[in-house]
Amino acid sequence: MTLLHLVRKSAFETSDFQQCIDTLAFGDQVVLLDDGCYNMRHTLMNKLTEVMVIKVHADARAIAIQAGTLAISMAELIDLTFKHNSVITWQ
Amino acid sequence: MTPANEVDNQAQKLVAILNSTAPFSSTNGKDALDLALIFGSYEQVTSLFFQGDGVWQLINNQDATLIQSKDYLKTFAALAFYDIENIYLCQQSLNERGLTDSQFTIGNVIVLNKLEFSEKLHQHNVLFRF
Repeated sequence: MTLLHLVRKSAFETSDFQQCIDTLAFGDQVVLLDDGCYNMRHTLMNKLTEVMVIKVHADARAIAIQAGTLAISMAELIDLTFKHNSVITWQ
Repeated sequence: MTPANEVDNQAQKLVAILNSTAPFSSTNGKDALDLALIFGSYEQVTSLFFQGDGVWQLINNQDATLIQSKDYLKTFAALAFYDIENIYLCQQSLNERGLTDSQFTIGNVIVLNKLEFSEKLHQHNVLFRF
């Protein structure tokens, strides 16, 4: 059983990203989208090894995609949803 | 334009608009800017404050068209024409986000520490928070 975590809120504003990290299990994957892109600038990122981000959402906000973070498209996000048993949205 | 700290004895009230949300996931930022420009067009003395995730509104190289949003951020450049020149940013909010004061779309921003930011806000008579 693995989950795909979609993080849509800024960790500077809410504790959603923290709650997501607390809920992670082996094999889960995390995607940052919408205001979740701002989390690339948050220290909570140090707790994660493999994070993905929707490229256009980060580019629109002028948030640079940091090393170790994989930029993906919306089409790739859809593929990811089929790789996991379920999807959880943090919003 | 009269500096905020010299207007205390005058009849006109000072308006502060406090921005604390990021630009694209809600209409708060655009609403705040629209309000500022309306006040500006009536020559109402208005200051803009940016705190928390509100500071993201001002960073360079944003492109709303990538996410099919209307790019209201370009309108910040119009503030000067409406005599809105007091634009205050919270230093602590910038530090938390790893931002420096060279990354902003408008040049004349004033970065204040937490205490100064609070003091400046207290000098205004009417406050709107978005």
